[in-house]
Amino acid sequence: MNNGADKRLNRGAEEDEDDEDDGDGLEAWERTYADERSWESLQEDELGFLRPIDNKAIYHAQYRRRLRSLSSSAAATRIQKGLIRYLYIVIDLSRAAAETDFRPNRMVVVAKHVEAFIREFFDQNPLSQIGLVTIKDGVAHCLTDLGGTPEAHIKALMGKLECSGDSSLQNALDLVHGYLNQIPSYGHREVLILYSALSTCDPGDIMETVQKCKKSKIRCSVIGLAAEMFICKHLCQETGGMYSVALDEAHFKELILEHAPPPPAIAEFAIANLIKMGFPQRAAEGSISICSCHKEAKVGAGYTCPRCKARVCELPTECRICGLTLVSSPHLARSYHHLFPIPPFDEVPLSRPNDPNQKAKRNCFGCQSLLSPGNKPGLSVACPKCQQHFCLDCDIYIHESLHNCPGCESLRNSKSVIANET
Amino acid sequence: MVQFANVIVYSYQYLLDPKVAGIISKELPKESVVVFDEAHNIDNVCIEALSVSVRRQTLEGATRNLNRISQEIDRFKATDAGRLRAEYNRLIEGLALRGNLPTTDIWLANPALPDDILKEAVPGNIRRAEHFLHVLRRLVQYLRGRLETENVEKESPVGFLVSINNHAGIDQKTLKFCYDRLHSLMLTLEITDTDEFLHIQTICDFATLIGTYARGFSIIIEPFDERMPHIPDPVLQLCCHDASLAIKPVFDRFQSVVITSGTLSPIDLYPRLLNFHPVVSRSFTMSLTRDCICPMVLTRGSDQLPVSTKFDMRSDPGVVRNYGKLLLELVSVVPDGIVCFFVSYSYMDGIINAWNDHGILKDIMQHKLVFIETQDVVETTLALDNYRRACDCGRGAVFFSVARGKVAEGIDFDRHYGRLVIMFGVPFQYTLSKILLARLEYLRDNFQIKEGDFLTFDALRQAAQCVGRVIRSKADYGMMIFADKRYIFPNSFSITLTSKILNSLIKG
Repeated sequence: MNNGADKRLNRGAEEDEDDEDDGDGLEAWERTYADERSWESLQEDELGFLRPIDNKAIYHAQYRRRLRSLSSSAAATRIQKGLIRYLYIVIDLSRAAAETDFRPNRMVVVAKHVEAFIREFFDQNPLSQIGLVTIKDGVAHCLTDLGGTPEAHIKALMGKLECSGDSSLQNALDLVHGYLNQIPSYGHREVLILYSALSTCDPGDIMETVQKCKKSKIRCSVIGLAAEMFICKHLCQETGGMYSVALDEAHFKELILEHAPPPPAIAEFAIANLIKMGFPQRAAEGSISICSCHKEAKVGAGYTCPRCKARVCELPTECRICGLTLVSSPHLARSYHHLFPIPPFDEVPLSRPNDPNQKAKRNCFGCQSLLSPGNKPGLSVACPKCQQHFCLDCDIYIHESLHNCPGCESLRNSKSVIANET
Repeated sequence: MVQFANVIVYSYQYLLDPKVAGIISKELPKESVVVFDEAHNIDNVCIEALSVSVRRQTLEGATRNLNRISQEIDRFKATDAGRLRAEYNRLIEGLALRGNLPTTDIWLANPALPDDILKEAVPGNIRRAEHFLHVLRRLVQYLRGRLETENVEKESPVGFLVSINNHAGIDQKTLKFCYDRLHSLMLTLEITDTDEFLHIQTICDFATLIGTYARGFSIIIEPFDERMPHIPDPVLQLCCHDASLAIKPVFDRFQSVVITSGTLSPIDLYPRLLNFHPVVSRSFTMSLTRDCICPMVLTRGSDQLPVSTKFDMRSDPGVVRNYGKLLLELVSVVPDGIVCFFVSYSYMDGIINAWNDHGILKDIMQHKLVFIETQDVVETTLALDNYRRACDCGRGAVFFSVARGKVAEGIDFDRHYGRLVIMFGVPFQYTLSKILLARLEYLRDNFQIKEGDFLTFDALRQAAQCVGRVIRSKADYGMMIFADKRYIFPNSFSITLTSKILNSLIKG
């Protein structure tokens, strides 16, 4: 990159963004294409045909690194997690959100990923609720109240995408603090702030607000899009949240999805409580009743609250009449796997081609595909409990979506089944 | 207390300045290890320890002191003449102080260095107290006459001595013993409020230094400060040019002396300036686990015009605008605190006014608050305090400071207080100052160091020190920008940039 070096010496730098300096010798504009120059990674084999790009191994290594970091703290012990989460997402719509370093601009990228996050969040935490807050012109507005249906939030967000003015962290925290103080004590209070600005214009002392949030046990996390700010770091440290700064769009997506699984519960807060919940029956097909969420008569296809017999359209939700949390058993089952996570699979050492003890052809227990096609030794993993081998795709699928190991589940031995549950 | 401690930490003056060292450091054993930390300015400290400046107020104060002393002498003559006579006898016997000379190292509180004090009897013409006072009065009168000059004068100590002898009739030996004699007299007269007598002590320091040293000094008399020619402010300065004089006793006396600093480049210049042969001379590069500093040199603005604080380019509106635009762009992308260093107070005032007229300052203030260092200590402390508060609470702030000011010497801007430091220009010293010119001449004649080289070395040392305020630990990170086209042109001292900064430049 001699041209680049010369240009830099003679011209000097006009601007440089701290977080995006990877020191590779690439100019700023070149870096934006660094990941997308897929034509450069094409290879030809001996006959001149294009070899398919093998990025599976890279992807798998990435995945395992992430898994290891997530479970390293929880490796041996089971950590109590907050399953009933009341999360406020604070979106910064100040003038900094119109910056075009994320394409087309920060606001659109944030909205897109927040939508994906909301869906993923409700997928993993069916008992929890989300609310949306925006910061615009130095004032924080509550976009949607705490609720359990993703569609309402997404529709409200997409309708209100304009940005202007300053950003005020303290106003947002005050607003969220006011709302979160009203929720019952068994719920975990969380705030996720997506901050695009580099500074905050506050009406008062923000340190006091941080202490207030800490006392109310609100766990604040921040994802920054610009650069690391001291006040955000301080806020996250005090309240026990996570602060990260996104380098580019893919990284931002990774960071925001990290907040979907439930975080560890704060020690003094995690007192065991009995929570009243209702498991409503589905109403008969032809029954007519007035729906409590739409306030109009509807035919069939609803659920009846067991306590007050009001009709609700979908689950999980909170009954509008009597305030009972209404869930169905699959929702609870989906939350169960957070408490008993699958241990990461061990990597199987690559088999040597002329090793006589090695079984010649092995199939993946999950999808029955050959584990070492051709002469190439393939990467595979094995479950430490049932010793079954799986291919990389099945490994990722089992850990991310299925949350159950097929090998362990299919063991008929009752001892192993009990061992799995303890 | 000094005798009982294993580790002593104090400032350089306590060891280098002979006046203070005699009181504080005389008990230190020879086997001590002396470490000078942050010693990049050690040559300046040595020089200042041996320099004296005399103004009209000093002379008037000295006259007052002399009157007071003569009153005291008359009082003593009336009541206790025996004491004065005993002192006289002692002086005849050659004991300069009351009591014996210490049998361990001779480290007297004399402005001249111990080896240079002759251990002989005080000369006859100042043994009697009244004669001594007459001598001092004649000296003060002569100095007053010299201060009335209209032109700038520069003389060597020898020439000055000759003219003192001609006009005031005081010879060199007499001058040499002025300090001791005064000290002894004040002890005899039991004068306790020594603060009042600082002026006459300054004159005696001056006299003793002139009498003792023939080379390495010059005397410069200026009728007014060059930058304000209408205000008469005559000053007579005895400038020491040779930094090795003050540090020589330290080298001679102590077994191991270590000079260390983070910005000691080029390292071979210091042994020449301080006149010693280093036994071990090492440079250590700092190992960083990740790229945490980003030094950059900026030679042109965004409209491709070269930028500099060279004297003839200072008022160029293009340069001013380019600097302003640079700061504005950076303010919108750098979080928390930014520190900017300018080459002088007057330059900083001028450029900030120009930015205000263009509206650039208002745009900067939209992103971050602005704080400025002034020459007043209280104001600067307040500004610094509020700057830190602004950085803490997320509002963000910019601090404008001067490269040779108090802030650059002492205040750290670590972590979020300094995420970016911009050095606007190259901080050369005021090159028309007579003292600096005299010193450069001395260095050229005696050490074969070219003036340009020394000035560049000094400026880059100051720039590196300013810029080093930002990184204080390995976990810290920050950006440094040197904004001047003169940073790029290689000269013999292009490697005077700190080695760690240079390593990063090469890597990046």
